[in-house]
Amino acid sequence: MEAARLDQSDTATAYAASAHEPPPAVSIPDAVRRCRWIAVDLNADGFGLFFISPSADRARLVPCFDSNYPHVAPATKLLSGHGGDELSRLARASTAPCWWSSNDTCRSAAAFGALNWGARISMPMPQGAGIAFPVYADRSQCGLMAFFGAEIALPQQQLAEIHARCFAVFSAVARMRAEDSGRLPSISKRELECLKLTANGLTSGEIASRLNLSVHTANQYLTNTTQKLNAVNRMHAVAKGLRLGLIE
Amino acid sequence: MTSLATEQTISETPFARSGTHGELTAFLMETTDRVGADTYMLVALLHDQERTDARIIASNWIYDAIQLAGHQLIANLAQSPFAAEPGGRPRAVITASAPALPGVSGEDARLLNVLGHSEIFALKLNVGRQRMFLLFSAEAVGRIDLAALLQAQFECCYGLSRMPDMLGAAAAQDPLSDRERECLFWVSEGKTTDEVAVILGVSSNTINSYITQAIRKLSASNRAMAVATAIRSGII
Repeated sequence: MEAARLDQSDTATAYAASAHEPPPAVSIPDAVRRCRWIAVDLNADGFGLFFISPSADRARLVPCFDSNYPHVAPATKLLSGHGGDELSRLARASTAPCWWSSNDTCRSAAAFGALNWGARISMPMPQGAGIAFPVYADRSQCGLMAFFGAEIALPQQQLAEIHARCFAVFSAVARMRAEDSGRLPSISKRELECLKLTANGLTSGEIASRLNLSVHTANQYLTNTTQKLNAVNRMHAVAKGLRLGLIE
Repeated sequence: MTSLATEQTISETPFARSGTHGELTAFLMETTDRVGADTYMLVALLHDQERTDARIIASNWIYDAIQLAGHQLIANLAQSPFAAEPGGRPRAVITASAPALPGVSGEDARLLNVLGHSEIFALKLNVGRQRMFLLFSAEAVGRIDLAALLQAQFECCYGLSRMPDMLGAAAAQDPLSDRERECLFWVSEGKTTDEVAVILGVSSNTINSYITQAIRKLSASNRAMAVATAIRSGII
């Protein structure tokens, strides 16, 4: 009977009541549709999905799509400008949702204020109300899913479920992006092995002796990988390999 | 709005006296109780040259259990395919049935079982951009509430985000100054020392010294390893 608990369907039933877990979104329009469902459940007027740039100098919200898809909503323009600075800084450091409201008496402000885990931030746009959920995907990708409107309803017990759905959409979108930008040429097992060892701090000489290759061959593998990844040098190749998930 | 949800509980417990780590302990104990588990363990994974090691941030496992299981086994449990992303579906590791998991042998499973970890759940946490892992285990199979687990996974993400100083790992993971981080970021984009010097408007010698500092602080042996370490821990 213990083995029975290993059966995934058992877990699935236990979770069905608390979390939707449909198959991941397969296209951007599909992901937009899923965001619309979340917005409907929250009673939000609009939404926007952003990536947070990995740039070290200034964190910035990079729009992915919003409720006006395939066009761009005005709220998205405000957040991708300086309005989103505080949001992007917060999302890199904290997973807790952030909210704002220009009117303390609206329904949204009451719902957000009652949450155990919400953090109120200064207005990222001239007026209105909204809530933003930090989201993360593999390879330290970071993003933000924002919902706008004065009539948002979000009871505490639904917070985790809504946030879970935001995570699911973001990881699907992040995967699509990687596949799009990737179109990776096939990199051989040996080449990946050399790249991984380089990331672990080994020199060509050390890699060669570890893998029983000549130094020349190890270097050749690394040059091939660098070219295939469209990188300019080894550091760049290691960074790209890690960010694309080719190596851990 | 910055108060913890558990503030009430914490101020009433003796942990409040032991300072910040006590707050973390109280938070995790309360969460463990809520999901129906007996023990918790919060870990961060460190990648070094050869393997992945677990750095235990907080735990109420008995000392001997940690010694006997070893950090390697704990790391393997944390990153097992049964572990769930936030919002995903975790699967229980039932130690009595010796599941086939990478890095967890039948003998390991029996040991955990004898030590009172009949059922173990591994949850992946996102604490801001930091990745952490939380293990919950129970002495009896079926005692942990799966719906409460989903809720707890997010609450831990939120709660730990508010305790950056208590995690220790946070400080250890990003020891770099803004300038050093900036330089390393440009190196990861394939820029040479001279190019970074032009981008940041300082001399090449200055850039080299920033990068050398970054390599030293990350305990890396060269630039490529420093870039890899920084990306893995979400610094750049």
